[in-house]
Amino acid sequence: MNLTTNISINEEDSVARVALVGALNTDTAPSFEERLQSVVDKNYAITVLDMKDLDYISSAGLRVIFKAAKQAKVAGNKLAAANRKPHIDKVFEILKALPDMAVFANDQELDDYLEAMQNKVKGEQ
Amino acid sequence: MNTSITSKLIVVLTLCLAVILGVGMTIDYRFSRDEILERVRLESAETVNNVVSELEQWLHGVEGDTLFLARVLEQREYSREGLNQLLRDIVAHNNEIFGAAIALNPELTDKPQGFAPYFYHRKGAISFTDFADKDQKYWEHAWYRDAATSGKPIWVEPYFDEDGGEILMTTFSVPVYHFDGEGNRSLYAVVTADVALTELHRYLQQLHLGESGYGVLISKAGIVLSTEKPDSIMRHYLDAMSTPADSDAWKRSFNAALRGETLVFPIECPARFGKCNARLSTLKATGWPVGVIYSQDEVLAPLREYETKTAIVGLGTLLLMALAVGIVSRRLTGPLVALARASDVIATGDLNAPLPRIKGKDEVAQLVQSFRAMKRDLKSYISDLKVATAGRARLEGEMAAATQIQMSMLPQGGEALEEAASYSLWAKVRPAKSVGGDLYTFYQCDQNKLYMAVGDVSDKGVPAALFMAKAISHMKQYEEAFESPPTGMALLNNALEQGNDNCMFVTLFFGVLDLQTLELRFASAGHTAPSLLRNGVTTVLSQETGPALGLAEDMPYPENTFNLQAGDRLAIYTDGIDEAFNNQAEMFGFERLNTQLQASAGDKITSAGTGIFKCVDDFAGDTPQSDDITLMLLDIPGQPANSQEVSRSFNCNSTVFGTVAGWLKEAFQQMSIDSEIGMELTLVSEEILTNIHKYAGLPASALIEVLIRIDSDKITLEFSDEGIAFNPFLDGHRADLGRDIESAEIGGLGVHLVTQLTDRQSYQRIDGCNLLSVEKSLSAE
Repeated sequence: MNLTTNISINEEDSVARVALVGALNTDTAPSFEERLQSVVDKNYAITVLDMKDLDYISSAGLRVIFKAAKQAKVAGNKLAAANRKPHIDKVFEILKALPDMAVFANDQELDDYLEAMQNKVKGEQ
Repeated sequence: MNTSITSKLIVVLTLCLAVILGVGMTIDYRFSRDEILERVRLESAETVNNVVSELEQWLHGVEGDTLFLARVLEQREYSREGLNQLLRDIVAHNNEIFGAAIALNPELTDKPQGFAPYFYHRKGAISFTDFADKDQKYWEHAWYRDAATSGKPIWVEPYFDEDGGEILMTTFSVPVYHFDGEGNRSLYAVVTADVALTELHRYLQQLHLGESGYGVLISKAGIVLSTEKPDSIMRHYLDAMSTPADSDAWKRSFNAALRGETLVFPIECPARFGKCNARLSTLKATGWPVGVIYSQDEVLAPLREYETKTAIVGLGTLLLMALAVGIVSRRLTGPLVALARASDVIATGDLNAPLPRIKGKDEVAQLVQSFRAMKRDLKSYISDLKVATAGRARLEGEMAAATQIQMSMLPQGGEALEEAASYSLWAKVRPAKSVGGDLYTFYQCDQNKLYMAVGDVSDKGVPAALFMAKAISHMKQYEEAFESPPTGMALLNNALEQGNDNCMFVTLFFGVLDLQTLELRFASAGHTAPSLLRNGVTTVLSQETGPALGLAEDMPYPENTFNLQAGDRLAIYTDGIDEAFNNQAEMFGFERLNTQLQASAGDKITSAGTGIFKCVDDFAGDTPQSDDITLMLLDIPGQPANSQEVSRSFNCNSTVFGTVAGWLKEAFQQMSIDSEIGMELTLVSEEILTNIHKYAGLPASALIEVLIRIDSDKITLEFSDEGIAFNPFLDGHRADLGRDIESAEIGGLGVHLVTQLTDRQSYQRIDGCNLLSVEKSLSAE
């Protein structure tokens, strides 16, 4: 059970996408934590965890996400999860994890949100 | 024939003509009748008038003679001899007069008997008698007295003259007067002339009106002077001629006649049929009613004749016309009848029946022409149809043969049942058309191994069947290579890819079952995963597949393994089952199959198989089968063990999670645990192991034993270690859930997961070991 993390950054919109592939468990959590931390430290307005290819998550992984979410909120940014598989969703549900964490069911919702956010930002400028 | 044109025409035209003729004839008859009646009337009038005038002439003559005599006597006085001579001459020279007499007024004679010489015809000679001789007092006789009384010449009523002629007669008496110097008149004599009734009768009998008509003469007093029946003569007319019914008519007419009028009136015919008429007019001379009695029918005979003639002519015309119409119509409809008969013959199938020959261009001819053309077209159409049908029949024959050949390529000819000591196998293929692309096969290369396969060629029908044949024969070729399913698959794939320009492909499931260990090794080339019925629950085998066979060279086919158990029923099938459509375009689907498979738990393998087929057919209803259907069932005999256990020990090092996770995955697969349950249990065990790792205080070399137990309805995980006594359910730190990020505590989530994802949890401390047990139910929710 391995984890691959793919990161893509949109500097202009201040959006970071972190795609998880594989299983986020006790073994893989530490290295993931490192990578996630490096992204969150950069203080993007929104960091999206794309879980399309995430097959497994245990409490160890959740803790990592928790920590990152806390950090983001304190910094005034957002941490969001997208494309969660049903059993991953179930785990989040059971733990009632991060109730105010934004969740996107699919890419379309995510894109719409991002666009709305951009427009809002542009409107504010 | 009642409804034929001919009889219709005959009836209609005849009726029309009958009506027209009838009307015409009636009108003509009316006119003619009037004419004829008029003619008859005129004729009868003429006839009567002729006779009457003859009679009148005669009587007038008699009167004239008598008057002359009277005049003579008025002027001169004759001596007796002179008177005799005078009288004799008159009688002798006038045949009309029967007899004549000069009756002197007896007061003027010297003899009291008077002087009345009478000469008359008898037997051709003149006879003489003197009325005075016989003391007859002739002056009292009517012939004298009436004249003397009236003072004028009169005709005396008829009587029988005994004294003289001894016949029936009527007399014309003329009184003769002498005038003295002062102009006083005194009767000198009565001069008479007698007319025999028989003479009158003779005249009258010339009156013929019709065959039985006869004349009648009546005196002024109503005495019949002449009529047909002799015994009527001298009787009163009311008595002799009239019946009581007619008497009023007679009286009226008689009186009218006396007045000088002419009358025609109907009377009852004496002993004759029909109506009779009497026509009375008057003899001018005597004032006697004279007439004629005739039968109307006889007189109207010409009219009757005319009527009859007309009727006959009319009828004859009608008949002739009916005949003519019949003939003409027959000729016209003859071809039609022949045409109808010919079409009856054609309808029985004999297209060579001859059509009637017909000349001309009228409508009937056109009909025959069209019919001829239609017959021709029909013939050619039918022969084309025969050719096409023969072709189709031949094709169907070929297809039937093809079906047989294809089925013979499959073990036991398309429906197989194999019962061995260590397994039972049932399989059946049902193509959608005569031939199809589904296949199955099974064989044993050696005692210990059962090889089985189910495949599905793309599409259906003849192309799929040909490709299926190719696949089957290659599979035979690689029989032994399939001992390693991936190897066999790869070889088969390459063989089928060659020359496959149509890009046909076949999905295939190929499995090899070790009959001793019950380990099933299989490869799947894009084929649906089989379903497993175990312990009353149906699950789907997980498999890693390769691509469908025949499309690309050198493709890899992973090997899957799975352990069967006693009591298992494995169902391998093609998508003709789950993709069977019903009228509402719904698919049968995997769920229904799995449900049905589950329901077949207690059934024997054959009825389980046919039951699934029936379930599909019932679902599809009357929607035709859209794809080939194949089902193979494999039963492992024996009672399933109610529970099984596997366990292993692991070092409590940092990689323990991954190692245990890997082992769990394998074990779950072997036990055919649902993948979701498996994942949750893996998660649970990760959390438990994390706790142990953190809090049990064990060195890396210490062992943790993990045990998996499966019962009929639940799975149990047990973890035992020799570490510090630690009950995570009590001692563990549980985070409050649901709090927002800021206040959420990181950590303590694991226990939650464990309690939420399992149904029961228990902890025991036995002999210095922690024994943690969790249970999860396997039955359907």
